[in-house]
Parts: sequence; structure tokens; C-alpha cells
Amino acid sequence: MTDGAIRSIVVVGGGIVGLSAALAFAHALPQARVEVIETPSDPAALADRMPSTLPATAHFHARIGIDETELIRRGIALHRLGTRFEHWSADGSTWIHAFGDYGRPVGGIGFHDLWLRARRARQALAYDRYSAAAMIGEAGRFVHPEDDPRSPLATYVYGLQLEPTGYRSRLLDAATGAGVFISPGAVAHVEQREGGGLGAVLLQDGRRAEGDLFVDCAGPRGHLISSVDESVEDWSSWLPVDRLLVGETTSTVAPASLDAAVATSVGWRWAIPLPERRAFGLAFRSSETEAARARRILSLEEEGAHGGETVAIRCARRPRPWVRNVLALGDAATAVDPLHGTNLSLAHSAIERAIELLPGRDFHPLELAEYNRRTEQETLRVRDFLALHYLRSGRTRGEFWAGLGKRALPGTLARTVEHFLARGRIPFFEEETFEKRSWVAAMIGLGLLPDHPSAMTGAVPAAEAARAMHAMAATLADLPRRLPPYSDYLTRMRRS
Amino acid sequence: MALLRAVRYGGIMKGELERQRVVVLGGGTAGWMAAAALVRLLPHAADVHVVESAEIGIVGVGEATLPHLRAYVQTLGIDEAEFMRATHATFKLGIDFRDFGAVGTSYLHPFGSFGTEMNGVHFHHFWRRMLAAGRDDDLFRYSICNVMAAAHRFAPPAADPTSLLSTYSYAYQFDATLFGPYLRRYAEARGARRTEGKVVSVEQHSGTGDVTALRMDDGSRIEGDLFVDCSGFRSLLLAGTLGEEWEDWSHWLPCDRACALPCAPPPGPIEPYTRATAMTAGWRWRIPLQHRVGNGYVYSSAHISDDEAADAIAAAVEGTPLAEPRVLRFRAGRRRRSWVKNVVAVGLASGFLEPLESTSIYLVQGAITQLVELFPQGRITDADRDEFNRVTDYEYDRIRDFLILHYHATTRADSPFWDHVRTMAVPDSLEEKIALWRHAGRVQHYSQGLFLEPSWIAVYVGQGMLPDRWDQRADAHDAAALAGAMDRLGARIADAVGRMPDHAAFLARREAMIGAPA
Ligand SMILES: Cc1cc2nc3c(=O)[nH]c(=O)nc-3n(C[C@H](O)[C@H](O)[C@H](O)COP(=O)(O)OP(=O)(O)OC[C@H]3O[C@@H](n4cnc5c(N)ncnc54)[C@H](O)[C@@H]3O)c2cc1C
Repeated sequence: MTDGAIRSIVVVGGGIVGLSAALAFAHALPQARVEVIETPSDPAALADRMPSTLPATAHFHARIGIDETELIRRGIALHRLGTRFEHWSADGSTWIHAFGDYGRPVGGIGFHDLWLRARRARQALAYDRYSAAAMIGEAGRFVHPEDDPRSPLATYVYGLQLEPTGYRSRLLDAATGAGVFISPGAVAHVEQREGGGLGAVLLQDGRRAEGDLFVDCAGPRGHLISSVDESVEDWSSWLPVDRLLVGETTSTVAPASLDAAVATSVGWRWAIPLPERRAFGLAFRSSETEAARARRILSLEEEGAHGGETVAIRCARRPRPWVRNVLALGDAATAVDPLHGTNLSLAHSAIERAIELLPGRDFHPLELAEYNRRTEQETLRVRDFLALHYLRSGRTRGEFWAGLGKRALPGTLARTVEHFLARGRIPFFEEETFEKRSWVAAMIGLGLLPDHPSAMTGAVPAAEAARAMHAMAATLADLPRRLPPYSDYLTRMRRS
Repeated sequence: MALLRAVRYGGIMKGELERQRVVVLGGGTAGWMAAAALVRLLPHAADVHVVESAEIGIVGVGEATLPHLRAYVQTLGIDEAEFMRATHATFKLGIDFRDFGAVGTSYLHPFGSFGTEMNGVHFHHFWRRMLAAGRDDDLFRYSICNVMAAAHRFAPPAADPTSLLSTYSYAYQFDATLFGPYLRRYAEARGARRTEGKVVSVEQHSGTGDVTALRMDDGSRIEGDLFVDCSGFRSLLLAGTLGEEWEDWSHWLPCDRACALPCAPPPGPIEPYTRATAMTAGWRWRIPLQHRVGNGYVYSSAHISDDEAADAIAAAVEGTPLAEPRVLRFRAGRRRRSWVKNVVAVGLASGFLEPLESTSIYLVQGAITQLVELFPQGRITDADRDEFNRVTDYEYDRIRDFLILHYHATTRADSPFWDHVRTMAVPDSLEEKIALWRHAGRVQHYSQGLFLEPSWIAVYVGQGMLPDRWDQRADAHDAAALAGAMDRLGARIADAVGRMPDHAAFLARREAMIGAPA
């Protein structure tokens, strides 16, 4: 680099995304000045207020020096093995989307191919009975995965459920410790720079914040990014939720490593275990359900779910999240509803990519194009994965769901579904947040089953596969008994 | 039409897999690779019938491979040592490019990475930074393959992923005329049928246009549900019968002939790599096998005559020629689609990119993998074909760009051929890749397909194209400490390679271990 390196970064937005970005930049670029402007938080910034994460967080935390054990000890985090989906499919059956393998290959043939064949012959248990993470999570257990590849405890990974206030203050401490300047303020005005991009951000108290790079982490409005590029790609025909009812309550029930997503007539509701409390909420559509009704439905269906704040969201992305010297992260770049808890993980991934591809002060268009290209590949597939649950759920009951199944799918999702329905195969895409095993679990859970088994299954006789599947299920069914309840495990972690 | 047959599994009747009659037209490397994989992986779904003509024969070249072929050998359950003996194979750690960027320069395109990344920053950024700071240092010193190749040593990579010695791979160099027959024995032993004879006409369904049968010179008919066109450059079914359009790339890759001249092995070590040496109108290969050395001059017929090329290769080879020079003709390009109706073209029948990076057999393998995964059950759908063609497209496009780079990234101005390739307009996709590299030292990222970051870095740096900048995170380290770390890494590599056996000795020892040939 020598000259032309980025010397100063102004992060606008002091929520979880902004602090995470600031911390990551401060670690990666020790010579640069990093400043966070703590603007008032936007209620629709879901990555800030609903920080569930996918397994990749572990990598991100290692990068920014956040220790998981410490988060657990301070009562900020729980482990997350997956989500239980209830009432989404046509027959209403429940399934668990777990962060791990479902079964093991037999004779070189992928487990799901063998499972699909066995299912046609009515010789298979529910798909999640072959997932160690699902079985452990369902039984209210958790242990850290093992390294020994022969152990069923080596077949999964996990994300985290984070308590937003505590997590934010942990990040704030770390950022301060890493030399990040934190200043409260609200953006009054942005100052364009000659030749394009931003020159400075003017705050309401009259201060000016100048920098080489401006990072917009202040939520979906995207005050900074929209001052240089207004384009937004609306996803609402594929991701139909536009209102959330978001609440939290104290809880005395035992901690859990699974959260729940329950489809209901007006949308779906969630229940997320947190240390000593529970987050709950309802995702619905304003055109057919008023907030008051949503509130009634939620409190009827979900015990203790009273109150909560109504939040308007709009699922969309910015096709160019990095323009000149303005980079949008979190909901400012991609806004999706909280299904599967992807918001914060998308932000983590974008931060890592931005650092990997960090351009110089000239912000060469080719470098930004590479960032935007890869970001697009990633976000479109997250969109597809979530859209699958709405548009091909099989559920028709309820005003929210009626008609969704007839909507056209985005092309890449249509291709994915078509391939799966033909022979249980998930086609390749360059960047997938949800690995093939997740796609398969979702397809099967939603009741999308292929017409034919993969031709490759012929290499393993059905009887042999059945024996192996039986043994796998037996081992996993027995597994929870051998593990401590999650609360005991947490107590031990907190003590040691 | 597909036959629906009941298959008996463990006593339970299930009309599950629909068996397809697969006719493989062609018994070259592509045809037998396809047949062997199909009988192995789809024993209950495919009935395989190979048709080949001794009169027409095979192209009989194609001796250098890529590391992916190891996965193919493993999937077939073949013992590597036995396979290597049967095909007189040697190990290949990369390609030694000589005189490409400029006359007198050379570099190895290694099957492995450069150095180790630090804090997520790839090694070449550190190297570039130190170069700018005046450290006169060769990036290739940090490529294990390069150090092994220079010393003619070989040892298989370590299995432990944390070991420095796990960061490289290898491929084979083998006798192309023995590879097909080896796979033929394999496939026939597992139920593949074979018919020797010449196809004289092709029958199609009057409605769909699907190919229904091949008519042979003896009057017999061979019917099938799915036809794998491995008929070589003729592309008998895809181009001949179905008329699939040709996409020509010869304006970017002007070489269109090769003059092959195998030689007896000269005394001295067996090089664990392929050599590619630039010539006035193209380049020549040198592929050391156990029992001979393959040579050939790949040239542009617009720039040199066949006779001149034959003279040039004869003058360049090191050992005694084992045959008369043989001229092969081809063209760079491909059929627009490889899977059309019920015909899947694999190998030269689908297209050809000249052998500069030994990619052809890799493309064969990739096509077979796709075919197995998308193997029809019930009728063939557009989705299957589109997916196959989509993957084939990006494989071809990336390889094309990578090959063009070898010609374009040069300062050679010593012949009309090099003037042409140096100054020609390249595809936009390549132009962007080069600009991104030159400006920032970054390689456009993709995760599937051939030639990932280290390959591009090798050619860029090896051919004298240095980036203006590097990752600014590389500046965070203290220069002296960095120099020390780099020196230690270089020393560790040199030391590890110093303890590896000589390539020829390694081959001989393994040969001895599996006993004398039967
Ligand atoms: C100069 C040169 C160098 C190369 N070097 C390399 C290399 O280093 N690495 C690499 O990976 N690849 C290389 N290749 C490519 C490689 O040789 C081919 O990809 C490989 O041999 C596969 O060829 P094929 O089977 O498609 O065609 P062929 O070998 O031509 O086989 C065609 C088959 O079809 C049959 N056939 C054709 N018409 C009829 C008919 N009417 N009736 C019956 N049968 C018929 C023929 O008998 C034959 O069996 C090179 C190619 C060339 C030209």
C-alpha cells in the first residue's frame, strides 16, 4: 500500500453492527483512527436489536477478541443449535433446523439421498431424528462439539443467542479498549466531497466528523449511503412480512439451545431463549392485520407475551452497498425479517469481506465492484432461503399464507426448488450462508420431496442403508441421556 | 424411452431406479473415463454401452493432468500405485513455464499455495510490501512445489491440515494411449458392453429430435436413452446430428496445430513437472513419463508452417525420437451448449482449449461428475440440461481467460505471433481481472472451478506483472520482524524439501513395493 491507505474511518451508528464494525476495523488497521458516532437507534435495525447469530460468529468473535465463555458467564449469551419450526408445512408437522449434519453418508452416498429413498418406502424416521444437534437441542441439552470425527458430538456447530443490551455494552467496552473514539451525536447533514463520495458528516451539535471512509450502520434508512446512491431493490413480494411485534419478558424456565418459529394465521411468531428471559414476537403483514389484532393473537398464542413494540420493516437490499467512500452494513445494506436470525450474521460477513477487500483512499471502482459482487451473491441466496419458507411452505391456512404459494419465485430460488424436486439435489452457488445441509433440511421440513431418488443411491442396497440409518437413529436417540441438562452445563461454564 | 424395471433390494420389490441405456460414442480418454465412472457410480441406474472404432482411432495425446484426477482415481476405488504403474505415470507438481513473460525468464505454476497467510492476509501482500521496501526476494521460494520441483524431489503431501506439508497437491503425467485401455478393462469388468465398429448414421425421434439409435457400418443398430458423445473433434452427435453451434475463440487463442514427437528419456533425473517453453509461434510441451518423454510444439499455423514446426521441435528435443513427428489440428472454442436433447458431449466433442494448462481431461472429469449428479430419472428436464450447461460455461470461460493471460502478460516482441497476442484485445472478464490485480494485488474470488488464487498469482508474478499496491494490513507488521519470519519460512521449506526423496527414487521404491510387473 504505502501511500493511499485509509487513515480514518467514521462509523455512523452505535448499535451492535456499528460497534462490531468499528472493533473489527480497529483490530485490522491499528494505524487508522476509528470513530463511532452513536446516533439514536433505529427500531427497525434488526441486526442491532435481535442479535441471533449463525455459527460463523465464532470466527468473527475470534477476529475482534470477544470471548464466548465470558459472554456466557456474564449472562449475555446462550448457545444456539437451531430453530424448531411448527405449523409451516402442509401437514403441520414440526421440524428442527439444526446447525449440523443430518446423518452420515453410507458407501459414499449422501445421507439425504438415502433418507429420501427410505422415506418413499416408509422406512425412515423424521429427518431431524438423524441430527445430533436437533436431538440434543430438543432434549434441552447442550455441550460443545467434540473434535473426534467418529463422535456424534462432532457433527454440529452452533451460533449464539445474544441479549442485545449486555452484548452492546460488551462491544462498547472492547471498542473503547481498542482505541475507538466514541461520540454521541445525531447526523444533521452530510457534506459531499469534490469528485464524489462524502467529505464529512455534520452533527446536530454542530460538530463535523471527517474521514477517509464512512460506514453507515444506522439502520435501514441508510442516511449516508442513500446520499450517494439511492437505489434499493424491494423484496416484499418474496419476503412478505412488513410489521413486527417485538417484545421481551423475564423467564424462569430452563434455558434452551433451540428457538422456535411458529407459523400462525397472520404470519409467524418467535420465541427466543435468552439468559433469564425470553424474547418473543410476531411477524405479520400490515395490509391484512392491524397491530392491535397482532398483539391480541400473540398474547393468546404465546404465554406471557404481553406488550411489545410494533416495528415497520421493509425487506430489501441496496444493490450497491459500497459506493465511493461510503459503505453500508447491517440493515442499511440488507434488511430482512428475523426468520432464521440472519441479520447480524450477514453484517459480520460483510464486515469481514470489507476488511479483506479494503481498497485504498482512491476507492477504485473495480475493488468496490468485487465487494458488491460478492455481497450480492451472498445476500441473494439468503433472500432465497428465507423466501422458500414463505412461498413454498405448503401451508395455506390463514390470511397471511393464502396465495403466497402461487407467487413466482426469484429465478435462482426457482432453479433450486426445481432441482430439489427432481432428485433431491441442491445446485451449486458461489456464496451460500446456508450450506447445502440447511437447504435440504428446510426443503424436507417444508414438505418438498423429490419425485425420484438420486440415481447414485443405487450403489448402496436399501437394506444396507436401512441398517446404517437405524443404527444412527438409535445412537442419537440415546445421546441426550448421556448429557447434562443445559442449565447444569451453563452453571459449570460460569463457575469454571 | 426409459425402461422401468423393478430392482430387487434386500428382498423388497421397489420399482425405484429407472435404468437408462447409456450409449457412449467414443473410446478415447473421454469415452472410457465416462464409462468407468458410470458403471462404478450408477450400477443400478445405467446400462453402459461403449462404441468405438479402431479404424478412426483416438487422438492419443493428453498426458499431463491436474490434481483433480486423483479424486477420480479414488472414486473408482483404484489403487494409485497400480494405476501409475499401468500407465507408466510420474508425479507432477506443476508446470514450468519458460520464456513466456520474457525470453530468459521462467517460473513454476505450482499445485499449491505461496507461503502462509498471517492474520487473514495472504502471503503475497507481505512479499509485495517487502519487495517495495527493497527486499530482493523471489516469491516462488515460498512455494513448496517450486522448491521440490527444482530439486527433482517428491513426497506425497501430509494429511495433517496444520502441517506446512499439507499445502500442496500433485497430479500425474501418464501415457495417454494406456489410460483409456486401463479404464476399459475396469469398465468391462463391471458390466460395460463394448462394440467395435464405425457409426455411419444416426437415428432421431421424428417428434422430439432425440437421438434414438446409432447405425453401424455392419448394419446393426445400437439403441439408447441417453447418448454421451465422446467422438472427439468430430463431435458426431452434438455438432453432426444436432448441429450445435460453434463458439470460436481462436482470435484469443490462435494456436491451432500441434506437432508431437515422443522421445526416449534422456539420462538424468525424471522431472516431477511438465515443461512449457515458449517458441516463436507458440510453445512446446515436455512431459516426462517413466519410459519416455512426450514432446510437442503447439503453434499457430498462420505464423509458421508444419515443416518449420516439425524442424523446430526436432531441434529442441533432448532424447532420441521414438516416432516420426505427428501433426494434430484443432481450433480453440467450444460448442455453445454441451448437453442438448438427450446428447451430452464430453471431451473434445464439446470443445477444446489448447493444452497449455492441461485442462482437457479435467473438463472431461467435471462433465462426468455433473452427468452423474444430474443423471436422468424419468425424463430429462430442461433444468438438468441448463444446470449442466451453466456449470460448463463458467468452467470454460475461466479456463479461457486464464490461458489467454499466459500469452497476453508478456513483453515479448520478437515475432509476429507474440506481437499479436501481446497487443490483442482480451475478453472484458479478463481485462477486469488483470486491472484488479495490477491495482490492488487481488484475485477475483470464486470458490468452485479451476485455478484459484495461487494459480493466478503464479502467472501474474511469474510473467512480470506486479501489483501497484498491496493489502494495507500488511503494513502493520514491523519490517525487520516480517523479514525474519519470511526467512524462517523459506528455511523451513528448504529444509523440509531437503529431506524428501528424489522423484525417480520414490517411483522406483514404490514400484519395488508392489512387486515386479506381472
Ligand atoms: C496436441 C494436444 C495435446 C493435448 N494435451 C493434453 C494434456 O496434456 N492434458 C489434457 O488433459 N489433455 C490434453 N489434450 C486433450 C486430450 O487429448 C483429450 O481431452 C483426451 O484425449 C480426450 O479425447 P476424446 O476422448 O474426447 O477424443 P478421442 O481420443 O479423439 O476419441 C474419440 C473416439 O471416438 C471414436 N469415434 C469417432 N468417430 C466415430 C465413429 N464414426 N464411429 C465410431 N467411433 C467413432 C474414436 O474411435 C475414438 O475412440 C491434448 C490434446 C491435443 C490435441
